[in-house]
Amino acid sequence: MARQLRNEIRVLRFNAGEMTQADLGARIGVTRQTIAAIEQGKYSPSLETAFRIAEVLKVPLERVFHWEEA
Amino acid sequence: MPYREKLSWLTLISLLIAATAYFGIFGPAVEFGKTRLLDIVWSYGPVAAVHGLVVLAGYAALALTPSGEPTAPADERDRAIERRSTSAAYFVLLIGMLLVGMVMPFTEPPYKIINTALFVIVLAEVARDTVMLFGYRRGLNGQAA
Repeated sequence: MARQLRNEIRVLRFNAGEMTQADLGARIGVTRQTIAAIEQGKYSPSLETAFRIAEVLKVPLERVFHWEEA
Repeated sequence: MPYREKLSWLTLISLLIAATAYFGIFGPAVEFGKTRLLDIVWSYGPVAAVHGLVVLAGYAALALTPSGEPTAPADERDRAIERRSTSAAYFVLLIGMLLVGMVMPFTEPPYKIINTALFVIVLAEVARDTVMLFGYRRGLNGQAA
């Protein structure tokens, strides 16, 4: 069965004081466009960046990224 | 639109215009160097020079835009898209050069070999820019590919 990797970055940004894509990008060392691409599922980040996102949003990695049945 | 996507549009459009100018106008005018090989230099040289100047001017114009984006270093997504597009261009160039260097010398005159080589280089660059644009627009290197 096909699965897709989904993420909750948009919601978690909102919960983290309505952090903007640019703010999150600046804090983990990527551009605003890359954060937008990750949120839309157009780009799968490296493991290092994924962990940085979770660290900045102060949640475990599995709260940010998870599998979803297609 | 990301800074690097703008650069890709700039190089792609300017290259297509330059290639059209040579293969559609200046090349046919001198029969692609059929009678004198040096005609290729005198017809393609200025086209390539103007193309280079246009691209440089475009880079400068984009660098002077107030968005501040050009100073941002390439991030991991930029590098991933760059790798993907360069691989595609390499494949096109490899196939083209095998044709130009290992097949055409036995069947075609020198002026055709030179022009085909130029065409293959253009094709490789078009492939690179196109894959890069798809990477930025459609997410070729991600889940939605």
